Amino acid sequence: MISAAATREHGRADSAGPASALQISHLVKRYGSFTAVDDLSFAVAPGEFFGFLGPNGAGKTTTINAIVGLARFQSGTISVFGADVERDYRRARSLIGLSPQDFNFDRYLTAEEILTYQAGYYGITPARAKARVEQLLEQFELSDKRGLTYLQLSGGYKRRLALARALVHSPNVLILDEPTAGLDVELRLELWDFLRRINSEGMTVVLTSHYLEEVELLCSRIGIINHGRLVALEEKHALIARHGQSSLQDVFLELVGRKHES
Amino acid sequence: MRNWVGFGTIVRREFKRTMMTINQVVWPPIITTLLFLFIFGVGLGSSVRLMNGVPYVQFLLPGLVMLNVIASSYDEAASSLFQQRFQLSIQELLIAPLSDLELLLGYLTGSILRGIVIGALIMAIGFLVVHVAPLNGLILFGFMFATSLLFSSLGMIGALLAKTFDNLAIVTTFFITPLTYVGGVFSSLHALPPLVQRVSLFNPILYMIDGLRFGYIGRSDVSPLIDAAVVVTLATAAFTISLLMVHRGVNLRV
Repeated sequence: MISAAATREHGRADSAGPASALQISHLVKRYGSFTAVDDLSFAVAPGEFFGFLGPNGAGKTTTINAIVGLARFQSGTISVFGADVERDYRRARSLIGLSPQDFNFDRYLTAEEILTYQAGYYGITPARAKARVEQLLEQFELSDKRGLTYLQLSGGYKRRLALARALVHSPNVLILDEPTAGLDVELRLELWDFLRRINSEGMTVVLTSHYLEEVELLCSRIGIINHGRLVALEEKHALIARHGQSSLQDVFLELVGRKHES
Repeated sequence: MRNWVGFGTIVRREFKRTMMTINQVVWPPIITTLLFLFIFGVGLGSSVRLMNGVPYVQFLLPGLVMLNVIASSYDEAASSLFQQRFQLSIQELLIAPLSDLELLLGYLTGSILRGIVIGALIMAIGFLVVHVAPLNGLILFGFMFATSLLFSSLGMIGALLAKTFDNLAIVTTFFITPLTYVGGVFSSLHALPPLVQRVSLFNPILYMIDGLRFGYIGRSDVSPLIDAAVVVTLATAAFTISLLMVHRGVNLRV
């Protein structure tokens, strides 16, 4: 089992600080003449488990990329616990942990090296990184895989490593872009359990997933994006009830207007 | 520069990368240099006798040092960054609290170090095999550093613009290698026909080799001050362009 006990070195952000863990205001992102994200605004409260949904190409990953610094945007603002992701990017990035949709590991480094170098990029000295990396290797049951490279790990262990890497600098906001893609049922359940536990300890979690039952189970509030625009933003049960549907999947299909794509 | 640990981590990773590919990046220049010294220095050199007033092998060695400094610096920055882009692992750095300057300097320091270490190894071989020692370490180091900075920066620019590994080879095959070989590694500018001499003055690598040779054996074809001015100007320009490209996120941040 993945243990949540030692996930975080320091506590959540000061409760007296800004109200939003994540605040996106009037975000616009264009690629040439194509508008990928169109005047998007929403906020995620500290400690919230937020589901960010949309069909393929709706702008979810583009939005995430804008939050973490992988994408530039034309207008709007994004802040993380009050830190603007452009003007105060060092603080904003230190507060975010990202588990990306596509594996983006250095193929020549071992699992242990990947975590150690990642800690270093966040300014964690080698001495402090050593203890933290040991903690994460143990926590994600990667201790006996520490010497293996990304290509030598199975799909499940790659996902574990991606999550461990996202947590190596003890962020306050964890962004998970399709974290259970390709996982078997057992590992998916294990991951859900882990995410619920770190959320209950105060971690703000933003989850995108094509498994709508997963989002319905884990998230307390849902934002749905379609063609770059927000089409729903509501507490989960209220959203389902207001649309007179029995599940989040039905609401999703009603809102995005596609029957076979989630 | 605030995230020194982050900067140092990039340098450490680059060094590890060099050590992981030691058979590709360290041994080949050493073996090639030994072959050059044997063939041109000991073999053909015995019939050339003097070049610029010094034994041919003394004239040849600084050129071989610079040849390897240039190739190593460019190759390290270009292949490392492009590989990171190719496998998306560059994203690890782009989402970290590192400034554009820290990121760039991390890569550049790694490849400058490789260039200078390879250069130092070639000098050690020269000292041990043909007993040629550098005359002025400071001048020599200055030219090695500035040239490494120039070609590391060019490597970064190449890696940011390239779409395939093959694109990177175009720069090496069609520009760096020919310009280096005709840039005075094997012969003095004065040994060339007048027209070729005039054309050669447009070859920037000639000034790098000439300047390093001045630091090594105290002889040069062009004024060392002109050599230094050319190298420093080009290095500054290349560094500035690479910094602007990283800052604009060219092929890094979409």
